[in-house]
Amino acid sequence: MPNWLPLFVWLVPLSAALVTGRLPWRSAGAAHGIATGMLAATTALAVWMTSIVLRSGGTFAGPHFDWLDLGSFSLGVGVMVDPMAAIMAVIVGLLATLVMAFNAWYMHDEPKAARFPWQFCFFVFAMLGVVLSDNLFLSFCCWELVGLGSYLLIGFWFDRPAASADPEYQATKNPDPRGVLEHLLSPAHAQLKAFVMNRVGDAGFLIGIGALLSLMVTAGEHGSVLDFVRLPGAAAAAQSTTFLGLSGGQLLTLAALGIFCGAVGKSAQFPLHTWLPDAMQGPTTASSIIHAATMVAAGVFLVARCYAMFPADALAVVGWTGGITCLFAATIACVQWDLKAVLAYSTVSQLGLMFVGLGAGDEHGGRAAGIAHLFTHATFKCLLFLCAGAVIHAANGLQDLHRMGGLRRTMPVTAWCSLIAVLAIAGAPAFSGFYSKDAVIAAALAHATAAGGAAWGPFLLAAAGSLLTSFYMLRWWIRVFAGEPRDDSLVEHAHDPAGAAKWVLIALAPFALSLPWTTGDWLDRALRAPHAEHLHAAHGQAVVLASALLLAGAAAALFLYWWAVRRDRDTAGALASRLRPLHRGAQELWGIDRLQDLVFTRGLGRWFAGRCARVDLGSPSRLRALDEAGDRRAADPLSLDGAIDGLGRFFGGLARRGAVLHGGRTGAYLAFVAIVVGAGLWWSVLR
Amino acid sequence: MIGPLAATVAAPLALALAALVPPLRPLARWFAVLGSALTLGVGAFAFADLAARPGADLRLVESHPWSTTFGASLAFGVDGLGAAMLTLSGLITLVATIAAFRESRRPHAYHALVLTLLAATNAVFTATDLLVFYVAWEALLVPMLALIGLWGGEQRRYAAIKFVVYTLAGSVAMLLLLIVIANTTAANGGATFDLPRLASMAPVWASTTVLGAPIARFGFVAVLLACLVKLPAVPLHTWLPHAHVQAPTAVSVLLAGVLLKLGVYGLYRIAWPLFPAEALAWSPALGVLGLVSILWGAFTALGQTDLKRLVAYSSVSHMGFCLFGLASGTVAGALGGAVQAVTHGFSSAALFLLVGVVYDRAHHRRVDGFGGLAGPMPRFAWLLLFASLASAGLPGLGGFVGEFLVFAGGFTANGSFPAMTAAATVSVVLAAAYLLWTVKRVAYGPLGDPQHGTFADCDRRERLAIVPLCALLLVVGVWPKPLVDALRPVCEALLTNVHGAAR
Repeated sequence: MPNWLPLFVWLVPLSAALVTGRLPWRSAGAAHGIATGMLAATTALAVWMTSIVLRSGGTFAGPHFDWLDLGSFSLGVGVMVDPMAAIMAVIVGLLATLVMAFNAWYMHDEPKAARFPWQFCFFVFAMLGVVLSDNLFLSFCCWELVGLGSYLLIGFWFDRPAASADPEYQATKNPDPRGVLEHLLSPAHAQLKAFVMNRVGDAGFLIGIGALLSLMVTAGEHGSVLDFVRLPGAAAAAQSTTFLGLSGGQLLTLAALGIFCGAVGKSAQFPLHTWLPDAMQGPTTASSIIHAATMVAAGVFLVARCYAMFPADALAVVGWTGGITCLFAATIACVQWDLKAVLAYSTVSQLGLMFVGLGAGDEHGGRAAGIAHLFTHATFKCLLFLCAGAVIHAANGLQDLHRMGGLRRTMPVTAWCSLIAVLAIAGAPAFSGFYSKDAVIAAALAHATAAGGAAWGPFLLAAAGSLLTSFYMLRWWIRVFAGEPRDDSLVEHAHDPAGAAKWVLIALAPFALSLPWTTGDWLDRALRAPHAEHLHAAHGQAVVLASALLLAGAAAALFLYWWAVRRDRDTAGALASRLRPLHRGAQELWGIDRLQDLVFTRGLGRWFAGRCARVDLGSPSRLRALDEAGDRRAADPLSLDGAIDGLGRFFGGLARRGAVLHGGRTGAYLAFVAIVVGAGLWWSVLR
Repeated sequence: MIGPLAATVAAPLALALAALVPPLRPLARWFAVLGSALTLGVGAFAFADLAARPGADLRLVESHPWSTTFGASLAFGVDGLGAAMLTLSGLITLVATIAAFRESRRPHAYHALVLTLLAATNAVFTATDLLVFYVAWEALLVPMLALIGLWGGEQRRYAAIKFVVYTLAGSVAMLLLLIVIANTTAANGGATFDLPRLASMAPVWASTTVLGAPIARFGFVAVLLACLVKLPAVPLHTWLPHAHVQAPTAVSVLLAGVLLKLGVYGLYRIAWPLFPAEALAWSPALGVLGLVSILWGAFTALGQTDLKRLVAYSSVSHMGFCLFGLASGTVAGALGGAVQAVTHGFSSAALFLLVGVVYDRAHHRRVDGFGGLAGPMPRFAWLLLFASLASAGLPGLGGFVGEFLVFAGGFTANGSFPAMTAAATVSVVLAAAYLLWTVKRVAYGPLGDPQHGTFADCDRRERLAIVPLCALLLVVGVWPKPLVDALRPVCEALLTNVHGAAR
């Protein structure tokens, strides 16, 4: 492979960002054109790179140089390509190109449209950095830049007011937005929330890097110790190292969990998932890439990248977190009435499924299954969001499932493309989800059978989540596209995307079939999925189980939202009131958003920080007095600064008292003399 | 004939005097530009030399006789840290001069004071003689007192006096140390204040006692106190918010960009080299102090309602990294602290300038009194976001380099440092929260006040001051190698000395 190839794949999107960022604001069309072209070039280079890597099957080390040399270790910047990274790069490039082309249509009457291409290209650059990086340090850097990219894109409409103060939102919102804190729902807040919550994960990531660093340095390793190729060495070194009372094994677990903590933030896992649904405030095209190939994919990818250093106990945490998230988010998705919110929670749930796969361990095919699901999910989730974007565009910003329905008549292309994607995410046979999801469930089952006990947890949670997935996704599709129109004017004005945008949807649809992924088992071979007798048995069972879950979920959705609705029966409503506590809990997002708002935003952010400020400088009245003219300053001895002022005042007072002695008053002088003489006498004579 | 380093002290002084001559008064601001540009030039030259040929030795060394009785001489020389600080001093003063170019209240006096301040800080950063160091260290309080006390806000006198009393009280013990040192060196083969020689006398400081305590212990505490007040470290920091709030924008820039660095420099230059064993013994406690500064500063910044106070507390938090990194006793940590001192100079100066931009237009600094300024002032919003991200330690921008190195050093250090470093990572979240929350409240959302819709975007002069700082933050963030190459030998020598003293 040419040495420059991976570097180019990484840097072409950056140059695209620089070029389109310098264009004058009015030339949105040109910016989109240039960006699409350059992203297409990135994709072509990535395809070339992949073809080389897949043929050789090995890992290719690209250019690497020391960013900083710190003596005992160095921090490097470099790229490496293995089949996983190469395929991911192709998917990132391909989806980015298609989304960019789609966006040219989607934003054709948006005044800020010219900002989109450079922010988007920068985002893609950052993600490709995570994908192609050859060491944990560079991954962390690009990881943070991915966060910045999402920050910019989520806040694309930064000047919009909060939902509670937005008449447009109030007019088009669904009537029952439970759990959503409307006064905090604005693009400007969503971008802040996304960035800060990601940083919570990143703090853990830093600790993970730190644990790995101390492990390597203690073990006497030198040079670029954070390189991925040296991670197996770290696992080996952990056997014989102790550091500050921690055994090497514990240190390794700590490092793995820290890195996983970063992934929990970026891949929106419980309990750091709440930023992702709020991030729907960004343009739908941005959501489409955030939910598919960049941002949330980074967490899953990173865990797979560092797989060699994940000990079994850390993998158990990964599996459990994924399982809990998978079911948790699926329950919420079942009761959402917002077009994009359903998709958002479905992403959270599917990411959980990927972590269930990763948690099952390499020997059970978990790693390969999780990554395969990452790839297939990226394509069909991207397609789903683009379809959702087309619907929102056609409905003039309306996102309420209550008022949709029957849109398949005027939006046939969108309807059929999204149906394909829905079947894929539900895991119907012959669709890509069937291939990858069954692999995940088979891996979890094999792991549970082998390990027993608590290892059944992730498997059962994932199975329950899968059952709900087919239910809520079909519900979503039926409410939007099937049945009779609920709002005639909406359906009349609706239309499929025009021109190239329509072809973007059509181009993405084939990837939702299983054929492109399974032909000749190329993906399994590329990801080195293990083959063993017990895995085949698990696979057989998983296929039966997954099909049964799919059928059950689909049947329930068809019954409730199609059959019953056609007979004018509100069976869904009746069921909801029968299951009132569960229904209500899911609608309230299980209280997590409110709890986080209470504990972190209002508790730590406002109350505790406000207390700190007060303890430090004093009460607001003192501060006000300090801002105004005049000598009156409110004392506040209970604050640090006020106490120091008090100290100053005390000495000032002492000095003034002392000054009395020198004020020229004879009485004072005489008294002083008398005291001194008296004291002297007492000291020398009377004592 | 004086050399380039002495010139960075003498020339600003001469220019300050010239600025006061009535016929030359209209040229005062150009004198300030000239003086800071000269400093910047000499600093950059020395820095380039040290980055190209790294070494722990002193460069551009010169010495002029001063007082043979005390053994003091006007001796100058820079190592990597000194050169970086000298460059920073020149750059920040230049930027502050551009920011105050339209100063209308007695501009000649203002610029003369700025030049005096520049001369004093340059002397601190380049002196290799402890007496010169001390004189300059104290002398710079005078112009600062006047700059805050005469050109400041409503409570300028309170803030100025608080600043001066606080810092004087902090460094009064250092004067005693100087006397002790003079006496001890006189008794040990000739009075001297030469820093390299004083550093080589570490055994003497440890073995000679004054009032029952070894000089080393007393001396370390004296220098430490002086530096911790300047740094400032919690709980000795409360002069800083007052000084920043009352000082005019350009003086805030000088204060945050240059004056706080004196504290860091004093630790690296005096406290650690002269008293290595004490430094090692005190390190865990200083690590705790650094950690407390990092977290307390961050939480307090989160709770501020005034933009300048907010940036001031963010400084407390960020300077805590310098102390923490140095105390960790690792090369990465000490290096990170030094890098952080430089990049914090850029980012805090940029932030104060940006606060000045909105203050000039809105005449208030309440964080909640804005909103949606990205609409009328897009350039301002981008610059604010850029400086905030740099300050919050986004990779690829300046703040990240120092922060990451400090973390890397802390995690690989001994004792309780890894655990403390883990606690310090909370600041990563807090910094993003208080800075980006501020960006949100100031620049994003709907327009907070309809009148703000008419605000003009940053003009050319404002951009001339801010954009170079942002550009440097990007350069250092992407390519920190020259800076680190220049600083690394100093830190390595420092720590070799410290760890050697333990044996």
